[in-house]
Amino acid sequence: MTATTWRRDRLGYLPYLVPGLALFTGVIGVPFAMNVAVSLTEWDGVGTPAWAALANYRELAGDGEFWSSFRNNVLVIVAMAIVPTGIGLVLAALLTDLVDRHFGPRPASVLRACLYLPQVLPVVIAGVVWSWLLDPDDGAVNAVLGAVGLDALAHDWLGDPATALWTVMVVMVWVQIGFPLVVFMSGLQRVDPSLYEAAEIDGASWARRFRHVTVPQIRPEIFVVLLWTTIAALKVFGPIYVLTKGGPGGATNVPSYYSYQNFFDKTDVGYGAAISTVLTLIIVALTVVFLRAQNAAEPEPS
Amino acid sequence: MTERSAGTIAARAGGVPALGRRGGGKRRRGPSAYATLVALVALAAVMLIPFAVVLLNAVKTPEDYSANGPLAPPERVSFEAITGFWERVGFGQVLLNSALISGSVAVLAVLLSVLNAYALGIGRIKGRMWVLAVLLLANTLPQESLVYPLYYLSKQVGLYDTRLSVIIVFTVIQSAFGTYLLSSVLGAFPRPLLEAARIDGAGRWRVLWQVVVPVIRPTLAVLAVFFFVWTWNEFLIPLVFLVGNDNQTVSVALGVLQGQRLMDATMSSAASLLGLLPTVVFFLIFQRTLSRGLTAGAVK
Amino acid sequence: MIKARRGAALTAALAAGSLALTALAACGGGGESDPNELRLWHYESPDSAMGVAWNQAIKEFERTHPGVKVKFEEKGFEQIQKTAPMVLNSKDAPDVMEYNKGNATAGLLSKQGLLEDMTAEVAKRGWDKLLAPNIQVTSKYDARGTMGGDKWFGVPNYAEYLVVYYNKDLFERHDVKVPTTYPELLAAMDAFVAKGVTPFANAGAEYMAQQFIYQLALDRANPAWVDAYQRYTVKANLTDPAWTYAATTFADWVKKGYIARSSVGGKAEDAGSAFMRGDYPMMFSGSWWFGRVAKTVRFDWDTFVWPGSKLTLGSGGNLWVIPKGSKNKKLAYDFIDITMKKQIQNALGNAGGIPVAADPQAITDPRTKRLVENFDSLSRNSGLAYYPDWPVPAFYDKWVAAGQKIMNGSGSPASILGEVQRAYDDGVPK
Repeated sequence: MTATTWRRDRLGYLPYLVPGLALFTGVIGVPFAMNVAVSLTEWDGVGTPAWAALANYRELAGDGEFWSSFRNNVLVIVAMAIVPTGIGLVLAALLTDLVDRHFGPRPASVLRACLYLPQVLPVVIAGVVWSWLLDPDDGAVNAVLGAVGLDALAHDWLGDPATALWTVMVVMVWVQIGFPLVVFMSGLQRVDPSLYEAAEIDGASWARRFRHVTVPQIRPEIFVVLLWTTIAALKVFGPIYVLTKGGPGGATNVPSYYSYQNFFDKTDVGYGAAISTVLTLIIVALTVVFLRAQNAAEPEPS
Repeated sequence: MTERSAGTIAARAGGVPALGRRGGGKRRRGPSAYATLVALVALAAVMLIPFAVVLLNAVKTPEDYSANGPLAPPERVSFEAITGFWERVGFGQVLLNSALISGSVAVLAVLLSVLNAYALGIGRIKGRMWVLAVLLLANTLPQESLVYPLYYLSKQVGLYDTRLSVIIVFTVIQSAFGTYLLSSVLGAFPRPLLEAARIDGAGRWRVLWQVVVPVIRPTLAVLAVFFFVWTWNEFLIPLVFLVGNDNQTVSVALGVLQGQRLMDATMSSAASLLGLLPTVVFFLIFQRTLSRGLTAGAVK
Repeated sequence: MIKARRGAALTAALAAGSLALTALAACGGGGESDPNELRLWHYESPDSAMGVAWNQAIKEFERTHPGVKVKFEEKGFEQIQKTAPMVLNSKDAPDVMEYNKGNATAGLLSKQGLLEDMTAEVAKRGWDKLLAPNIQVTSKYDARGTMGGDKWFGVPNYAEYLVVYYNKDLFERHDVKVPTTYPELLAAMDAFVAKGVTPFANAGAEYMAQQFIYQLALDRANPAWVDAYQRYTVKANLTDPAWTYAATTFADWVKKGYIARSSVGGKAEDAGSAFMRGDYPMMFSGSWWFGRVAKTVRFDWDTFVWPGSKLTLGSGGNLWVIPKGSKNKKLAYDFIDITMKKQIQNALGNAGGIPVAADPQAITDPRTKRLVENFDSLSRNSGLAYYPDWPVPAFYDKWVAAGQKIMNGSGSPASILGEVQRAYDDGVPK
C-alpha cells in the first residue's frame, strides 16, 4: 500500500473510537476533572466547597502515613501481580500442553474452573472465611500444622505484625491465580499445536517448549496481565479491609485504604480527592512506562 | 480452511484424535504426566477449601454454629438460613437486578472493547498508545474519587437510583480492560488474513465482524466472563447509586447482614452461596466457548 | 463462511437484547412521595429486640392511621453510613429513618442541615420528660454538630451499655467466686489463670480491646473528664494519668494472661461465639449481645456491671431522625410517638433490649429485668460515658491499631497514646 492510502486507511478507523471516547468523557473524564477540582477545596460532601488551593497537596506531601503505606504496597504488588502471573503462566502451560494433550480437554477445563473459582467469591466472604481458617486457636491452618507434627510453626498469622502482611499476601495469591490462568489459557488457544508437535519431535522437553513456544506466543497476554494485576495491586482495598483493616497497628495499611478512610470515614472529601489524584497520577505514569516497553517489544507487522 | 486445521478444531473441541496429529490414539502418558495431574488436582482441592467452609456454614442452624464454631461440619443440615435470607431481602428481585446489570455490562463492554481495540490494534491510528493510556484511566482511577462527581451528574440527568446508571458506569470501567487486552491481541493479528479479505473487496466493518471477531472469539468469551463476574461482585458504586430496595444488587444485599457490631455467620454464608451460584453457572456455560474456537492456524 | 455469519447474527442479537434490557433498567428511579405512604428505613435485624418492637409499632401505626401504609425497607448499616449524606440530599430520602447517634454521624448530618429540627415537636409531645438527661445528650446537637447541644435532632427508643456477661457454670466448676468489687475481679481472674483458663474473651481487631482500655481509664476518671473527651469542653489530654493507667494495665493484663495475646487479630463475632460456646468465663461487651446470648447458650449465665466504677460505656441507642426532605413529617412524628408508648417499649424490653421509657413491672424475664434495672440506676447517676471512638471521625481504626500495639507490646504506652492524641487533635472540630 502506498503511504497516502495507508494514512487515509488509518483515519478511516477513527469512527470506531467515537462511542468509546464519548462514553469515557462523560463517565470518567468529567468526573476526574471534578475530582481534581474538589482536591483543591475543603469539603465534607454536602454544601459548597471552600477554596483551598494546594493546601491538601501540601499536607499530603508531609503525610508520613500515606508514604509509608506505599512501602507495604510494593509487597502487595509482588503478591498480586508478579507471583500470580508467574504461577498462572506455568499452570496455564501445564494445563494446555500437558493435561489437555494427555488427558483430554475435560480434565483441563475442570481444573481451570476450580482454580478460577476464588475470583468469583465476594471479597468480604473470602476474608471472613480466611480469618476463620487462620484463627490462632481454632483455625484449620494451625490444626493441620499440628496434625502433621509441625506444631512449632503454628502462629497468630494475622495478629502478629511480623507475619500479618505475608499472610495477607498468601490470601491475595489465592484470590488472584485464576485471573492470569484463564487469560493465558485463552491465549494459548491461539497457538498452533503443530508448533508444539514440531518441538517435541525435535526432542524438546516440556520446560524448553515452555520457554521457546508458549511464552513468545502469548506475549501480548503476559504484558496485559502484568500491568493489569499491578494496577489492581496499587488499588487494592477489599482484602485489606476485610482481613486486617490496615492493622495490626498499621502493618498492612495501603494507599487506597487510606484514601477510602478519608472519603468516607472522615468525610474529608477534599483531602481524599487529593490522595486519589496523586495515586492516579502514579498509576498513569507507571502505565505509560509499561505501554512504552510493551510497544518496543511488540513485533511490527510487515 | 484446510482439512488439517478443520481436524485440529474438532480435536480441540472433543478430544478426538485428529488425523496426522496424534498418530492415532492418545499420547503415551508417562509417570511424570500422572504425577503432574495429581499435583494439580491437589492444588485445585486446596483452592476450594474456603468454598467448602461456606457451604458447611450455609446449611447450619445458628445454634449449631454458636456451639461448634465455623469449621465444624453441621450437626444436621438445615436450609433455614438460605430460605430465611431469600425472604428477608427479596432475593428473587435482587438476583434479577444483578443478572440484568452484570449481563448487560458483559455484552456492552465487550462490544465497546471490540470497537476500540479494532481502531487501536488493527487500525493502528496515530497516537494509539496515548489513547489507550487515557482509556485505561477508567480503571486506574480509584472508585471513591468517582463517587461524588458521578452522584451529582446522575442527579442532573435524572438517573440517580436507576440500574441504567450503574450499567453505563461499569460498561465504561470494564471496557478499559477489554480495550487493553484486545488491542494487544489484535496488534499481533496476522496481517495476511486481513489483506486477503481486503483484496476480496471487504470494507472495514465486514472485516471486523467476519474475519477478526471469529478468530478472537475465545478472548471475547473470556472478557464476557470477567466482566460479568467483576460487575457482579462490585460493591461501592451499586451501594451509592442504588437507593431503593427494589434496585439492590446481590453484593449490596449481602451488606444488609453486616450489622454494625454483629454478623450473622450462617446467614452470611447462605447469602454468599446464593450469590455465588449464578456466577459459577455463568462461568461454566462460557467454559465451553473458551475451549472451542478457531485457532490462528486457520491461516494455513 | 456460514459460521461467521451465524456468529455475527448471534452477536447482533445479543447486543440488541442487552440494549432492550438496558432500557428496561432505566425504570426504577426516584421516589415519588405519597401522602398515604410512610417511607421507613432501619438496619436492625428482624429478630433483634428493636426489630421485633418496631414491627409491632408498624402494625400499631397502620391500625391507628387507616388508609396509610408503611413502606418499610431494611437497609444495611454500611450503606446508610456511607450514603446518608447523598441520599438525604436527593428526592429519594425516606420519611423517617434510623441513624447512628454521635458527633461523627447524627451530629455531622445535623450540621449539614440534612435533618429536621425536632425541638418543638419533642416539647409538644412530652418526649423530653420520658428520656433521662444522660440519654438526651446524644439526641441534641449544637451548631457545630457536637452532642449535648440545644436542638433535638433524633429520638432513641432504646439504650445500650456494656456489661460483663459471665458463665456461672464455669465459675462453679473452677470454684471461683463471682466478683462484686474490682479487687474481687482481679482475684477471680488470677484464680482462672491458675486453672489454665483465660478469663476474658477479646477481639483485638475490632471494638472489644479499645472498650477495655476505655473502661480502665474510666475507673480513674469523672464526668467532667468524659465531657472534655467527648464534647471538647476543655482540651483533653490522652496521656494523662487515667489513660496511662489504662494502657499500662491493659498491657499488663495481656502479660498476665487475663486476656489472650492471640486475640489480637480476632473479630468480635468470633469472640462472642467463643464465649457462647463456653470457652471463656467472661465477656465484657455490649447489651446488643443480650438477646443472642439468651437464645444460644446452653449454660447458666447472667450479667453484672463493671465492678467498682461509677462510669461505664453506654449511651442512648440509635436515633429516629427525620430527613429535611421528608414529605410526611407529621406521619413520621406520629410513628415515633407510637414507638415511645409503653406498649412498644415494654415489648422492646421483653425482647431483650433496653427500653428508655418502659414500665419496670412489665418486664418478666429476671435476667432482662436485672439488665434494665442496672442500666436505669447507671443512667440516673450520669454514669454513661459513651464510647472511645466517638470524639473524632475515623477514630475507630486508630483505636483498633492502638489496642493491637498495646497488646503486642510494640511501643511504650506513652508513645502509643501519643499517636492517638495526634489523631484526636487533628480531628477535633476547630
